[in-house]
Amino acid sequence: MSQRYYEDTNVDDELEPLERTPTTDMAIDFFGRDNPTNPAFSDIEAGKRLGVGGALVPGLMKLAWMTQYVGDWAGLEGAVRNLRVAYRRPDVADRPLVLAGRVVDKRVEDGKPIVELEVVMLADGQPSTRANVQVELPQRG
Amino acid sequence: MSVPEQSLITEEHRAHIGRKSDPVTVVVRDEDAKRTRDILNDKDPRYADGTGIAPPYVLAIMSGGPRRGMPQILPGGLLTQQEWKFSRPIKIGEEIQAVSQVFDIRDRLGGRYGYSVLVTSGTEYFDKDGNHVASAMITITQFDPKAGRQGDE
Repeated sequence: MSQRYYEDTNVDDELEPLERTPTTDMAIDFFGRDNPTNPAFSDIEAGKRLGVGGALVPGLMKLAWMTQYVGDWAGLEGAVRNLRVAYRRPDVADRPLVLAGRVVDKRVEDGKPIVELEVVMLADGQPSTRANVQVELPQRG
Repeated sequence: MSVPEQSLITEEHRAHIGRKSDPVTVVVRDEDAKRTRDILNDKDPRYADGTGIAPPYVLAIMSGGPRRGMPQILPGGLLTQQEWKFSRPIKIGEEIQAVSQVFDIRDRLGGRYGYSVLVTSGTEYFDKDGNHVASAMITITQFDPKAGRQGDE
């Protein structure tokens, strides 16, 4: 994990894409097997009854992946401050998802160096989830 | 279900808007932090064993489960929007007070499920000194699965 600095970050910088394949086991284990969750996370038929076409990938797990993805990009001295996510289409388990992102703004806000990113999760090349993420980055010197 | 002639949102439902829940104590458990890290294969040393710091996405576990105070108007529900804010790192073992409220309930016509209801609620998390730790806002689209359009998926 390399450190990202505010001064070295520019609008239109792109994050390296990352592929993840969610499974039904992941969905259940993520929340804990002793915790109640949506049956559609593990049951293909329950997902189909929701109109999803298979077992549903939990939105909270996708948001967690996005948080990790941006946190890794920012580095150890960076901090994810805010994520605003729109789930455009449900995702189905066992199908690969690709995380991608780019810098859309940078500014000093209340004395804090903030970089804003647009992050997407792509399923079959189409965005299923979009996020705007604000990250606080360290400044050199 | 066809499109109803009038909104299914009643005054009883609307009465939830703006009503804050009693504070609920949430303890950030080491096992939750470790399990979620393992599932995501997160090697970030800030959240490694022994640091006492949970990865920020442990908020998913703190905010999961039944939605406190969120009215159920239609039988199906999908998460459609969400926002997380972090004021500081979340510590393992600390007791956090969670206060939830419904912000908005509105009808929606058209789209994948025909008539649906959007319910937006949020939870604020404070430490024992009353300092803000994090917040989570969520919009659930409630719908009748039987009314879904075929072939949209």
